Amino acid sequence: MEWVAALLFITVIIFLLAGFPVAFTLGGTALIFAIAGMIGGSFNGALLSSLPNRIFGIMTNQTLVAVPLFVFMGVTLERAKIAEELLETLSSLFGSLRGGLGVSITLVGMLLAASTGIVGATVVTMGLLSLPTMLKRGYSPEISAGTICASGTLGQIIPPSIILVMLGDVMTTAYQQAQLDMGIYSPKTVSVGDLFAGALIPGLLLVFLYILYILLLAYFKPNVMPAHHRTSEEKISVMKIIRALLPPLLLIFGVLGSILGGYATPTEAAGVGGTGALLIAIIHRQLNLEKLLEIMRYTLRISSMVFLILIGASIFSLVFRGYGGDDSVQALLESIPGGVIGAVLAVMLIMFLLGFVLDFIEITFVVVPIVAPILLAMGLDPIWLGILIAINLQTSFLTPPFGFALFYLRGVAPPSIKTTQIYRGVIPFVIIQLFTLLLISVFPELVTWLPNKIYGS
Amino acid sequence: MLNRFSDLLGKITAWLMLFMVIVTFIVVVMRYVFDIGLIWLQESVIWMHAVGFMIGASYTLYHEEHVRVDIFYRELNPKRQAWINLFGVLIFLLPLCFFIGWKAFDFVAISWRIQEASRESGGLPYPMIPILKSILVIMPITVSLQGVVMLSDCIRTIRKN
Repeated sequence: MEWVAALLFITVIIFLLAGFPVAFTLGGTALIFAIAGMIGGSFNGALLSSLPNRIFGIMTNQTLVAVPLFVFMGVTLERAKIAEELLETLSSLFGSLRGGLGVSITLVGMLLAASTGIVGATVVTMGLLSLPTMLKRGYSPEISAGTICASGTLGQIIPPSIILVMLGDVMTTAYQQAQLDMGIYSPKTVSVGDLFAGALIPGLLLVFLYILYILLLAYFKPNVMPAHHRTSEEKISVMKIIRALLPPLLLIFGVLGSILGGYATPTEAAGVGGTGALLIAIIHRQLNLEKLLEIMRYTLRISSMVFLILIGASIFSLVFRGYGGDDSVQALLESIPGGVIGAVLAVMLIMFLLGFVLDFIEITFVVVPIVAPILLAMGLDPIWLGILIAINLQTSFLTPPFGFALFYLRGVAPPSIKTTQIYRGVIPFVIIQLFTLLLISVFPELVTWLPNKIYGS
Repeated sequence: MLNRFSDLLGKITAWLMLFMVIVTFIVVVMRYVFDIGLIWLQESVIWMHAVGFMIGASYTLYHEEHVRVDIFYRELNPKRQAWINLFGVLIFLLPLCFFIGWKAFDFVAISWRIQEASRESGGLPYPMIPILKSILVIMPITVSLQGVVMLSDCIRTIRKN
């Protein structure tokens, strides 16, 4: 009955494209297939009895509690206008440099990584915040759009992003399963902290390459990124710089440091980070009841959106497995010439293409649980695979003509900017991404060195 | 009426998000500063999280924030969109809610009957666990109600055009 599993997958993609909310489409389609199979006698209905237990498992998942906590922290920082102040300060610091504003935007994108992790939100925020300033200061539309899109997606790969939390949770399960399949009964584990540690060097490498590109371009083509000559009223005091930079920096390094140092779990760190963000907001006199209510409600909606997709995806996986779908995927991946390398390439290519239509959350919860155990059983490192998936998807979101980030920027960009200009501006960054992917593939130590150093092998 | 119900439910539930953050902070302070581990307090964070996103589901539906794959959807006119939502509610949302609620019923009933408490010693007492499990039946009901609202909105949009 393997063809039914394939049919289920294709049907789900088609139904998803119709545009009904993902969570219900995933679960609903799977349910239709399960009922049809039960009537026809090809699906074992007893499988579905485990459903309440599975959903309850999602509700009480320890690791994923960090998701709403991190979202709360990010939204608080955003609503408290920390990002705005950060960008203002940095750009007045570096503004007189050629390309300085571009560099500032990349740095803010990096620092606010945790801020949302929802692809659209970051690009929209950054677009609204910085696009007008860039254009006003004579930056070319191409370089402005490219910088904003690229730094907006940085938030997915730089820890503590909620996407790494979700991916970490899925990889934990996949790794356990892979080792059981291999007959290892005292399995090693991989945690969200491992993934954070693994993402750090590749993430910083991306930031470095982005900035290098911006500075080189500014040097060789000064007219696309002119320096800004500060007017007297824009002079800033050291106090102001400290006030704007220090609290968010302390918060982010505190959260990240306590996780990487092994002092706190991601959930604990996220809770402390959320409280810290509230304090910063209060210090900056940016918090009132109305804003607090907004922050809470927004957090609730994001959390509900994410976890309902997880529930839908788990119903989908249950039915997909019930039809033997995982076995056929395994047979398929093993038949690809080139062994592990061929299989990884194929999976990455498929994910890259799926990234054009599906968001990170859906791919993490639907596709990764199917393919990751198989790839890991071929002997791959779970942290390396996780980071490869994350950067691959980030690249997909940047790639014209379908990348998500480009759509979101299009939505907030003035009509005077042509869509083709956005495409042209982002291509150098896509090349940087591909180069990084290649680098990580050739030198896996870029990912695995830090986690091994911190947690031991 | 039902819209307001979903909205109110969400606004009340949203407070759990704030409490979660603060309680997690307290748990950390207790553990690292005073070396006191309070299992029930830790479990209460998970409890708030689970109740939050499950009860918040209908509120999120009302606010149109359950993510859609919208590369085609956003280009459609309101009437076409209404048709998609009409079918979506009828063949995906309502059956799914009915199925989850129906399958979960025994699961919840057993928990109440055995007066389930947390498996960890010092964890959440009865009846917090049965209440949490009951959410598995309550969520499908609240989401279905909001689904019915969506249905009537869709029909109105289709008629009007």
